[in-house]
Amino acid sequence: MKAEGRILITVLCCFISSFILQPSAFAKVYIDITSPAVRKIPISITSEGPSAAKEIEGIITNDLEFSGLFSFVAPEVPGAEITVQLKVDAADEIKALWSLNDLIENKEVIMKQYTAPKKNIRTIAHQISNDIYKYVTEKEGAFRTKISYLAYASPDNKELHLMDWDGHNGIKLIPLGLTSSHSWSHDNSFLIYSSERYRGWKIYLFDLGDFREKLLFSSKGLNLAGNSSPSGDVTFSSSQDGNSEIYVMNINGGSPRKLTTSFGIDVSPAFSPDGTSIAFVSDRGGTPQIYLMDPNGSGVRRLTFEGSYNTSPAWSPDGKWLAYVGQRGGKNQIFMIQSSGTGQKQMTFGGNNESPSFSPDGLFLAFDSDRDGSRGIYIMRANGEEQKRITQKNIKAMSPKWSPFFK
Amino acid sequence: MKKIFIVLLLVLAVGCAKKLPPPETAMPKEPAKEAVAPESKVDKEAVKESIEQKQAKLHEEARLREEAKQREAARAAAESSVFRDVLFDYDKYTIREDARPALDTTADYLKKNDAINIVVEGHCDDRGTNEYNLALGEKRAKAARDYLSSLGVQSSRMSVVTYGEEKPLCTEQDENCWQKNRRAHFTVQ
Repeated sequence: MKAEGRILITVLCCFISSFILQPSAFAKVYIDITSPAVRKIPISITSEGPSAAKEIEGIITNDLEFSGLFSFVAPEVPGAEITVQLKVDAADEIKALWSLNDLIENKEVIMKQYTAPKKNIRTIAHQISNDIYKYVTEKEGAFRTKISYLAYASPDNKELHLMDWDGHNGIKLIPLGLTSSHSWSHDNSFLIYSSERYRGWKIYLFDLGDFREKLLFSSKGLNLAGNSSPSGDVTFSSSQDGNSEIYVMNINGGSPRKLTTSFGIDVSPAFSPDGTSIAFVSDRGGTPQIYLMDPNGSGVRRLTFEGSYNTSPAWSPDGKWLAYVGQRGGKNQIFMIQSSGTGQKQMTFGGNNESPSFSPDGLFLAFDSDRDGSRGIYIMRANGEEQKRITQKNIKAMSPKWSPFFK
Repeated sequence: MKKIFIVLLLVLAVGCAKKLPPPETAMPKEPAKEAVAPESKVDKEAVKESIEQKQAKLHEEARLREEAKQREAARAAAESSVFRDVLFDYDKYTIREDARPALDTTADYLKKNDAINIVVEGHCDDRGTNEYNLALGEKRAKAARDYLSSLGVQSSRMSVVTYGEEKPLCTEQDENCWQKNRRAHFTVQ
């Protein structure tokens, strides 16, 4: 457990870098998360050095292609607007010296060297992807973010795991119990989740600094973690009074405030990214639907009206969209709708697709699907393009939650 | 759970046996410098105590084994012949008319066997989503518990847990299997 903690920390702060960076005068690509990119930047990449060089090149290519904002052209073919040159030395550790040339402005705009232990080769590659992405879009790239998820181990045991956004570097965080409904804190310092152990559903916090678990909330009945707000409030559902209702409490303790009182089921609360609204699921109208309310429980309004089963709301980072699961023709599909209630659209069509979660830049969605037979984690662009599986077929993986940016 | 209970009992039993002749009274009250001689006396008593402890422990273990055997037999008998699953409609947690005879049988059995406490588990088919199904499963378990309670079974003898869609009886994607999974299930505590 402790060793894994060190691995996580090493991965996140292992860079010694020297660089010259001249930011471009303006963003070369403007991103609209909901529609396909208008123009892709033609880019070429060359690498020299041992096999690690090709490996890094491959990871960068995969990252940037998946963003949908780049088209790769072979180095010998003219047409690239940006060229990346990579020199790698992998004798003791990985040293990656690279530069970025902007052929439109006709100058070298970035030159950097990253050094890290060999096991962190993927982190180096993702960091280079982030740098290239930032030069082109003037926005943070999500290529060094993580995805937490649940892995089926036995009927009594669903484990909490963590991996890179592209499915690599998986580690097990919590092997105990039947884990459910987890989420990241805004600063990536902890995860909260619910786990069933000895017939009780309690809410726990896993500290990503010291890799320790602590009990956050327990009562009789079903207690399911929601997420936390930027100001440190945690929302959750609890049936401590006999019926599942939505509560908010401070992460440091204090008594929970009850926000709902309905006879039916109220579950799956999610603070909007700015903390000014809570989405949740309720069957108060006869079928499970998504509702929004203010953080004090007032101003409840129904968001979804189409279909008789809409659950699992997840906010986009700008708070303008919610992704959710809607049942159509007996199958679960991912939908998106604006928080104003307009613009509903279906994102998936084959198999059962559940548990949507936005990347912190809003560009991608992670979800789980059984479209290939076994349940696994998938990612797609938030406009529905490029849906691909990132977990292996031999593990039954579900409920992905995309981390915030690592600072 | 049972194992933990037995271990707990053993710990208590051993703890009690130790306390019967309190070691403090056997310990010399004299000043520390004279403590050497009486120590052998303490040792003898400690040996005697340890034999008594062992005997008590063996006796207790045998008793617990016998009890566990009886409980296991009662559990098997009750679970196989008396307790039948209460089935529910899709996305519903109301007790159906056709579930009542089975609940009546369960209530009669529990009223006649008041040493037996039960766990009511709530389950769902896998067509919904996990979190909502956990809440739905709890509603089903509570509906079954409340029904038994209305027939005169004390609520304190029934605990409730939901497993949502996490512990299916079958995994086929057809109504026959889905119906089997939408259930409240009883086990002996």
